[in-house]
Amino acid sequence: MRLAIIGFGFLGRNLLRVIWEKISFIRKFDRDFLVVGVANSRGYIYDRDGLNLENLMAFNDLLRYPGFRAGSAVDLIRGDLCDVIVEATPTNIRDGEPGLTHIKLALSRGIHVVTPNKGPLVLAFRELMYLAEKNDCDLLYEGTVAGAIPIFSLVKECLQGDKIIRLSGILNGTTNYILSRMFFEEIGFDIALKEAQEKGIAERDPSYDVDGIDAACKVVILANTLVGRDVKINDVERIGIRGITQEAISLAKKANYAIKLIGTIDKRLEVAPKLVPINHPLCVHGTLNAIHVETDLAREITLVGYGAGKETVSAMLNDIITILKKRTWRSSVINSAKLA
Amino acid sequence: MLRDVQLKFSITLALPDKPGQLLRALEPIAKNGGNIVSIIHERDKPAEGYVPVSLVVDFLSHQSFKRTIEDLMNIGITIIRSEEVIERLRLMFILIGNVDVKRVIETRIEEMHVINIEAMRSRVGEVSVRLEVEVPIDKAEKIIWELKRAADEQGAILIPPIGV
Repeated sequence: MRLAIIGFGFLGRNLLRVIWEKISFIRKFDRDFLVVGVANSRGYIYDRDGLNLENLMAFNDLLRYPGFRAGSAVDLIRGDLCDVIVEATPTNIRDGEPGLTHIKLALSRGIHVVTPNKGPLVLAFRELMYLAEKNDCDLLYEGTVAGAIPIFSLVKECLQGDKIIRLSGILNGTTNYILSRMFFEEIGFDIALKEAQEKGIAERDPSYDVDGIDAACKVVILANTLVGRDVKINDVERIGIRGITQEAISLAKKANYAIKLIGTIDKRLEVAPKLVPINHPLCVHGTLNAIHVETDLAREITLVGYGAGKETVSAMLNDIITILKKRTWRSSVINSAKLA
Repeated sequence: MLRDVQLKFSITLALPDKPGQLLRALEPIAKNGGNIVSIIHERDKPAEGYVPVSLVVDFLSHQSFKRTIEDLMNIGITIIRSEEVIERLRLMFILIGNVDVKRVIETRIEEMHVINIEAMRSRVGEVSVRLEVEVPIDKAEKIIWELKRAADEQGAILIPPIGV
């Protein structure tokens, strides 16, 4: 299979490094696996025989790479030069672009898609699923929710007979970091936020995280994928953490509770601060994420892990391998049937 | 957290202190679909030849409970006391805002009992309040909704416990 990476930012670059490090392992699933293209917002590089990943790792700026072609990722996808794309452009929840165009175009041309980009899935979930099914493609997006935590794989593969009663979780590492600092260091929200910004954990404009928008996006993707809902971000009731005082956290702590920003999917969809007993499996601190699944048979399962950063590459690579296993197995079965 | 609500009843009978009386009393309970949770046979408290027996029984409906009581009376069993046992849930909340603590304490939400309350004022004058309440388990959802509405009216943030 020929893979192209769209987006040469933090995740795209880290994925490329991991593919380079694990190339022999990946080729156990598909001996013809190649990375043939990488695109950024200005253009792309392409080599039908596979890019030299070691060389490519040395370039921070794709524009300086020999053979860089000015243009757009659309040219790479439209040229039918690849079988799988990893769409790793920045999340945009206003119109989903440019990721939405890339994913739609790829699926409509029968190209499989792996993405950690929430925007397109939040805005056009049903449309994208329909396109994938119609064109017999895979659209895998484990990295969109809680980074390295394999929540979709767990529920889809391991809880196939269970009915999901409720999903709840800490779905945003930035707010968990801020609330954890307030809990342990007894500092106010403003100081904890400033500290998070200095460490690069929070953006200069922190609204996307602290107002619960990021967590609400994840609630939408979880609800649409795992409990068969058809919802948009406006269907999620949302309260952020700006109003949480240090005194409130102290009062909670005295009674053995922590305050956490929790996304909940049951009959309602909600992101709001909740009191979590300190011995509850969801009571994890720092930038950790956690998801608690309540079902009719398994009852309760909790997953804890890193929700952002380079750990997300684990989910992206797993999605790529899933496609390689599924599709190369299928083609080998078809080939052996032809030979017979 | 809001479990399936089972109807639980407490029944105290006065049974003659003779063999076979308990079995006789249990028949109408079984016939009406009652599930016995506990039996306390207070043999150390006999009074004029009668022994008090306290039972906790689950029934599917109030009607089954009512029919059981009628059947027990029809076979001549004396009923000292019979009532529904309402399971109660303790819940913790935090309120943040320009909250009038006195108004919070005096919040008259039907069947909600305030167990504990602690407040702290921040430097900017905002008050944070920890409220511990006890509510009947089958009314919890409604009471939480009313508490949220009361908080909204005061322009305060209500932080409920997870799972409700």
